[in-house]
Amino acid sequence: MAEGHQKSSMSYKDVNEDIYGIITRSGIGYYIICGLFGAGAAVLFILPWAYQIYVGQGVSGLNVPVFWGIYLVNFVFWVGVAHAGTLISAMLFITQTPWRRAISRGAETMTFFALMLVTLFIFIHMGRPWNFYWTFPYPTQRQLWTNFISPLTFDVFAIGTYTTSSIVFLYFGLVPDLAALSHTASGWRKKLYEFLSFGWRGTDAQWYTQNKACMFFSAFIMPLVVSVHSVVSWDFALSLVPGYSKTVFAPYFVTGALLSGFAGVLLMLSIMREAYPVMKKYVTDYHYDRIGLFVLVLSLMWSYLTLMEVVTGLYANTSQEIEHLKFKLATPPYMQLFILMIFCNTVLPLVYIVRKVRGSVFGRFVVPVLVLVGMWLERYLIIPNSLSRKFLPWMWQDYAPTWVEISISLGTLMMFISMFMMFVKVFPIIALFEVKEDIGVPMKNRKHH
Amino acid sequence: MATNSVLAVFDHVDTLLEAAHRCKASGWGFQIISPIPLGHEIEHEFGPRKNWLRWFTGFGAINGFIFGWVVAFGLSVLYILPRGGKPILAATPTLLVSYETTILFGVLWTLFGFFVLCRMPVISKKPFHPRIAVDGFGLLVEGVREDNIPLVEKILKEHGAGEIERIES
Repeated sequence: MAEGHQKSSMSYKDVNEDIYGIITRSGIGYYIICGLFGAGAAVLFILPWAYQIYVGQGVSGLNVPVFWGIYLVNFVFWVGVAHAGTLISAMLFITQTPWRRAISRGAETMTFFALMLVTLFIFIHMGRPWNFYWTFPYPTQRQLWTNFISPLTFDVFAIGTYTTSSIVFLYFGLVPDLAALSHTASGWRKKLYEFLSFGWRGTDAQWYTQNKACMFFSAFIMPLVVSVHSVVSWDFALSLVPGYSKTVFAPYFVTGALLSGFAGVLLMLSIMREAYPVMKKYVTDYHYDRIGLFVLVLSLMWSYLTLMEVVTGLYANTSQEIEHLKFKLATPPYMQLFILMIFCNTVLPLVYIVRKVRGSVFGRFVVPVLVLVGMWLERYLIIPNSLSRKFLPWMWQDYAPTWVEISISLGTLMMFISMFMMFVKVFPIIALFEVKEDIGVPMKNRKHH
Repeated sequence: MATNSVLAVFDHVDTLLEAAHRCKASGWGFQIISPIPLGHEIEHEFGPRKNWLRWFTGFGAINGFIFGWVVAFGLSVLYILPRGGKPILAATPTLLVSYETTILFGVLWTLFGFFVLCRMPVISKKPFHPRIAVDGFGLLVEGVREDNIPLVEKILKEHGAGEIERIES
């Protein structure tokens, strides 16, 4: 049994009832909140986006020379949030870490919806989203062929592969659970579960194949996680723009992504536990303790790499790099934003050194929210900020997001929350069979090997 | 004579495995159906299985790697795009594209292999007991001649089987 779990007195039947209860039993308040977030998404995201499509990109703050604004900040931010989910599952599956079992499904679901937003922000940023297929390699009479040495093309392959793999990984874990719940469920849920489980019965051959497949997926996904955010970082690092052109960007972005991803998982688990007190049986203080330590270590790594990012700029000592650093570190309001970022991502996570804080309300809610704010600021201070100070002063132009960009950003966040809440009402958010594994194999005479 | 199957549901895995041993010794085939993976226990009792899935994964990964090179190199030759003195056929970025396609094809072929090896999707109804979806462990004894069914049922009961169902072929 996994350390720290409170499952010694639980039976398999309890697990089925608890997890199916999370799907079916909710007060009206849950649906009202979900509906409000959904309505908020419609008003704050869909309407302004429709307006932007109708009028054009001019309604955003994007203009010469800053063509990459907060749409791409959000894109990179959500790629980061998407990182921890699949990584937690894959890394801890390969190392057979037992405490992964209760949290892996929630983390994978978070990855799934974060990747939906990643894709969405590419479309929003495009301005003319109906031309999305231009990013794919296909013969065209326009004679505009995909440039295979462009990091933007790498992005199409990397994000496409990561999205596909994450969906497959999430679905894969769901198959045995959906089959099991199809015998408990009724109505449309029963039909949906029966369809999606494709007749899974849990024979020894099926379990064997499932286990091997999960092992292969995990082995594929771990390097993929690293490669995806490295590729995203090369969108910037392979250019010559001051503030972008840094060799440290790949590890810097990967570490930052993991930091925001783990903070996201921590926050999601905390909210889920409050919404469903039954989850306290499965997600325990032990989980907060472990994830808190991950956040602490990643924060230290991120802090070192942030220092290196600044130091390499100083070491280069070119006039444009120095000008960019002055703009980022010593010009209001970016100076204050930089200080806030350091507070959120370097100073605040240090509280996790104290074990008690890792399980406290402050450690569960306040710290992860501020880490996420800090990570968003990090991307803001890199992406539009660097473009504001290009090589020559006549190219300098400040960037400020318009109400359309801010509204779309808030609306998509609301959409993420409402979609997650809807998912919880349809699919098991805790991996049923994995939690049963945690309880142990029932033996009459022998001990479990 | 027609052969049938018998599905028994057990509360405990060790008693199920003992029953499975006796069935195997008597020459009947069997399948274990469980709510959780019992790979370790089954392997311990009956030896390791052959892992056919790796061939699907390997096939997908190799093809993905080749696909990446063919797409990036082949199409760069077919549709030449001059890029400021940079090589038309650039190996380093192509390696990156093929790295992603290796993983993509590997994952997709693993998924395909999973469906093939698990014989899914299932169209016809297969023997199952609803308790297995919760906390029961099923032993499906297959290829039993009709006159041997009482004997199979006796063996299963001796080992503590709860519900026993006869399934006609």
